[in-house]
Amino acid sequence: MLKKKICMVGEFGVGKTSLVRRFVDSIFSERYLTTVGVKIDRKDVTVGSASVTLMLWDLAGEDELTPLNLSHLRGASGYILVVDGCRASSLKKAVELQQRIAERLGPLPFVLVLNKADLRDLWEVKDTVVSEYGWPTFETSAKAGSGVEEMFLALAASLLSVNAAAEDPIE
Amino acid sequence: MNAAYNQGFLLGALGYAVFERTGEGSFQLLGQSPDWLPAGSLTEAFPFLDVFLPDAEDFWKNPGNRSAQPSDFWTQTGAGGIELHFSATALSGKRRFLVVECVEQRFQQAQSFLQYAHDASLARDKIAKLSLELERATQAKSEFLARMSHEIRTPMNALLGMAELLWETELSGEQREYVRVCRATGDNLLNIVNDILDFSKVEAGQIELEKIAFNLADIVKEALDIAGVRARAKGLAVNSRIEPAVPAYLVGDPGRLRQILLNLLGNATKFTDRGELSVLVEPDPGQPGSDLKSDAALHFAVSDTGVGIPADRLSTIFDSFSQADASITRKFGGTGLGLSISKRLVELMGGTIWAESVPGSGSSIHFTARFSVAEAARAAEADVRKPLEKAHPLLRPQALRILLADDAQENRFLVRGYLKDSACIIDEVENGALALEKFKQQVYDVVLIDGEMPVLDGYSATRAMRAFEQEHAQAPTPILALTAHALREARDRSLEAGCTDHLTKPIRKATLIDAIDRFVPISRAVDRIQVSVESWLKPVVGGYLENRRGDVAKLRAALNGGDYAMIRTLGHQMAGTGGAYGFEPITEIGSTIEESALAGDTDRMRTSIEDLDRYLSSVRVE
Repeated sequence: MLKKKICMVGEFGVGKTSLVRRFVDSIFSERYLTTVGVKIDRKDVTVGSASVTLMLWDLAGEDELTPLNLSHLRGASGYILVVDGCRASSLKKAVELQQRIAERLGPLPFVLVLNKADLRDLWEVKDTVVSEYGWPTFETSAKAGSGVEEMFLALAASLLSVNAAAEDPIE
Repeated sequence: MNAAYNQGFLLGALGYAVFERTGEGSFQLLGQSPDWLPAGSLTEAFPFLDVFLPDAEDFWKNPGNRSAQPSDFWTQTGAGGIELHFSATALSGKRRFLVVECVEQRFQQAQSFLQYAHDASLARDKIAKLSLELERATQAKSEFLARMSHEIRTPMNALLGMAELLWETELSGEQREYVRVCRATGDNLLNIVNDILDFSKVEAGQIELEKIAFNLADIVKEALDIAGVRARAKGLAVNSRIEPAVPAYLVGDPGRLRQILLNLLGNATKFTDRGELSVLVEPDPGQPGSDLKSDAALHFAVSDTGVGIPADRLSTIFDSFSQADASITRKFGGTGLGLSISKRLVELMGGTIWAESVPGSGSSIHFTARFSVAEAARAAEADVRKPLEKAHPLLRPQALRILLADDAQENRFLVRGYLKDSACIIDEVENGALALEKFKQQVYDVVLIDGEMPVLDGYSATRAMRAFEQEHAQAPTPILALTAHALREARDRSLEAGCTDHLTKPIRKATLIDAIDRFVPISRAVDRIQVSVESWLKPVVGGYLENRRGDVAKLRAALNGGDYAMIRTLGHQMAGTGGAYGFEPITEIGSTIEESALAGDTDRMRTSIEDLDRYLSSVRVE
């Protein structure tokens, strides 16, 4: 079966692990457990008529002590920039990571995810600011489950279309 | 079993799987497969190795002086859905190995460390956010209170002022009593507004104490003089004692010290029906380190012979909104904020406040405070600053030209009322733009200007007036801001805009007159000039003077337009006619105007025109 590696990147504590957990196991835990190194999960999905195994690489959130190891993105088909809507700093971090990844790996498909939609009243991140980047953006709540599956499947679909385009050279 | 098998078993049990690199991408497991090792090829078993092996290959090809290259930790779900944590190490020597380690303990240690760092960082963010929210909320509250205070003060200005003016009129005994009650309740209301505003400032940490030299005995006396009026009216004796060891001159905030004393004396008066009130100041016995030469720790006690405070309430009376008994509020009035404000002020002065009481025989409120002792030079300043005592300031009998800008008609009416017995000529305007226009046309002795007005506010207007004065090399006119903003920032804002002083509404007649008196230089104001003219001329001098007043406007316009010929003609006419009508100064000023126009001396022309204007404003025909 076709395998696609997708990396979750973003500031620590934005909910990368929780999004994967919600998508793969349909579970959410209130307890914040920081990720060390990389956490690898897999999920088989069907997009249209195609079945694909998503290899979800949940990369430890970047902080002052541990910079993101870009070599972990080696072989990735796409990535998910995760932002905590309640922390403006996490959007800044996502923008910075996107630039670093694009510089190192070239133009990879990605989506921007504004997580913690259940706390929307407390959001510091403004929609108008986010829309300025013109990136495909999803609002999710790993806690409530809203938007999570749609987001992963949308990215998977865009990876498959990239794949299809690569396999069907223009005549 | 062979040795290699045993070795592999042992390593596996310890959490290691060791692979020998036999060629690029080719690995051979040494010994038995540990039970935690997933089936399949190495990268199928451990997808993470997809990213690590290229780094490991680089290392094996070029190890330099390193013998090992470790990977990051990774986590993957093993059989039975259990999460396992791993790390890998490439080893290089005579042979090359890849060691995969199932790392529980090291992973847990690394995670606890990172978890601690992240939790701390998230908590720090949360605290910063909360503190920002708190700051915003406090700011919003302060702004709200300042706004409310402004809104309340504006109508109170007219209300209290009118009551004051009414008091000065002929009234029957009954009417006088009504007005007295009206004024007293108005004063009470103002005290409450001030208390609330002060309290909010104290709460928001916005009060900064002044550090100026003052005479302690003066402050105690002032507080006793003010509070003593009511005390004596109740038949209470009022005493004070300052121990000789207490330095006479201190550096601190005399206004706030007086406020504390006034508050304590006010309470003492409220709760005492017979006997006496007393104030004691002595060196603080609890601070023997204070030398009383450079640093003075003092103890103050305000005592009364009143109802006293129940023992169980002694410690709570300094809390906000907490009078010892809620019924007290109904009986004695007050917001219950006074003691709370005093407590905060005392704390700002480096002291503490407490109460002692024997119910039925009286209470003492004690407080301590620290001051610096004023040096001789600064002590002299304190005396200089002491205002001259005057029972009721009276405006000089001069015809001051006053520009009054306030959008509230009732406030303009009030100022006019306050000055109605003076010879002042008041030009009223209702916004800053009109004020500026008038200011450019006419030299004023003083400008009274409201801060917030439509079209152009008082601050911008003042700035423009100061700029105009500079451009035209005019001496600065005293500009007094009359605003309902009572916060210190409001005062700073007025002064920063160029105002000479800032008076807070409600403005008392005495305050206004005193301020005008203080800031208008005597030389600026021309006394009223009485001129006697021959009887046959009397019917025409009024018209003559009126026409000359008209000339002032023409002269100003000509000066602005550079029409010196016109100025010369008008000056010449005045020089020729003034004396004939009995106004010798008009002839003199007319000649100066004519001469300066001939010489093209604009400064002299301007001065002469203003001299003429002032003369015409002051001259009265007998």
